[in-house]
Amino acid sequence: MTSPPSRPGVRPDLAEVFRRNYPRVVGVAARVLGSPDSAEDVAQEVFLAFGRSSVPTGEAGGWLSVAAAHTALNLLRDGRRRAVREENAATGTDAVAGDVADDVVVREERTRVRAALARLPRRQAVVLVLRHSGLSYAEVATALDMSPGSIGTTVRRAEAALRKELNGHASSG
Amino acid sequence: MRHPDEGVLRRLLDEPAGVADADRRHVADCQVCLTGLAAAHADAAAAGTALRAVPAGDVDLAAAWRRLSATLPAADRERAPAAARRRGARLRRPAIATLAFLVVLTGAGVAAANDWLPIFRTERIAPVSVTTSDLVALPDLTGYGDVELTGAGEPQQVADAAAAREATGLDVPQVGPLPRGVSGDPTYQVVGELSGVFTFSADKAAQAAAAAGEALPPVPAGLDGSQVRLVAGPGLAAVWSQEGGMPTLVVGRAVAPRAFSSGVPFETLRDYLLALPGLPPNVADQLRSFTGDGTTLPLPVPADQVRTSSADVGGRPATVLEARDRSFAGVVWVDDGVVTAVAGALGADEVLSVARELR
Repeated sequence: MTSPPSRPGVRPDLAEVFRRNYPRVVGVAARVLGSPDSAEDVAQEVFLAFGRSSVPTGEAGGWLSVAAAHTALNLLRDGRRRAVREENAATGTDAVAGDVADDVVVREERTRVRAALARLPRRQAVVLVLRHSGLSYAEVATALDMSPGSIGTTVRRAEAALRKELNGHASSG
Repeated sequence: MRHPDEGVLRRLLDEPAGVADADRRHVADCQVCLTGLAAAHADAAAAGTALRAVPAGDVDLAAAWRRLSATLPAADRERAPAAARRRGARLRRPAIATLAFLVVLTGAGVAAANDWLPIFRTERIAPVSVTTSDLVALPDLTGYGDVELTGAGEPQQVADAAAAREATGLDVPQVGPLPRGVSGDPTYQVVGELSGVFTFSADKAAQAAAAAGEALPPVPAGLDGSQVRLVAGPGLAAVWSQEGGMPTLVVGRAVAPRAFSSGVPFETLRDYLLALPGLPPNVADQLRSFTGDGTTLPLPVPADQVRTSSADVGGRPATVLEARDRSFAGVVWVDDGVVTAVAGALGADEVLSVARELR
């Protein structure tokens, strides 16, 4: 990967921050959206925003993860139709060879998870996604400006709420 | 020893080293906690399965970097029109995200849940309207009595600054140097005075409390049927937009909200309403701002999405709002009963700079 040409308005640390964080940022968005292609779109948006921000380099990892979670959740909330379309397209392209019925089950499961995630309170959803993307409790607390002691409670309640949403949807459908 | 809370039990699953020794020992010997731990484990496993990473193959870092590089700001727009055009296209999606944020920030997002006043009842309100309307917003008290609104209506576009001044009687702020990414001439919007007479109803308040699963606190003598008049505006806004129509910078000004009462003092009613169970937090925040003397800010701020801080603009204390994802920032202050706000898809330092250069 080459360094960016020196341009006014582009942070000099962007290439290094990108290299260190891009896979994780894609991972955060993918957990929300269920589609690798959509997740990369979100990651591109997030790094563009970072590129023109004044976020300190030391806080970049947490900032990018939070921004990816919010941006992806916004997509779920505001563009559910588009997200579903993208998800379907992505499922078509990255589905491994296998039983068609399995693909349908996987796709339905992903759609159910996305809908459940979109119904969670925003903070719970973000904490949940960050934790399941591998951020430590301390990292989540720092990134979201929360007290470290509150992360476990928020994760716990988010997981209980997600499971309830998924079970409720399953039993009603 | 009391049982560790559910958060401690949850952390025990992920980061046992982060849990105090005493708590770990307690859990190991406590059937109640072990049961709670098992439940936490089951929910965590279910969430882990639901959120497991999609099989994405390896991320192509080099290709992703090339894509990002192609959309980074061009060094010189005059010499690189193609690059500038690409940037405009790429910015559209973040701008839409900002629009969504603006809607949340300024009340329309709350509308669905809380049935805000009619000025917010447009499902997909234009961002400029949102910002301008927000300057003359009133708290939604329809759950606690009858509200009769007069005035305001939708914001109107006017020809220029002089027309905005004539329509509102307010001086139009003159902006100094524009921040990077903001260019061209602004459009001007005005919105009239919004006035609402609120008649408190103990019956309605009791229903709202019951909906929240609680009883109504004792109603002070003379409060049932008492009226207050809340007034906000008029206001104006200068709006700079990018080619796609998304605003990049908004400078707004409005007469600060005021409250008038007959009979029971407004503060008595306000404090009682604030004590009611089920009062939506945003409404409570907005209601608190009605001190009756026009000196505080009408800001329904969702604290989980916006970070607030203090600053100084021209010797006046100002409130800086910054989206936690830093996609948006604004600064608001009151001077002699007039609210002025500068906001946009900018950094906090940029909006503060614009605010301090206003003439």
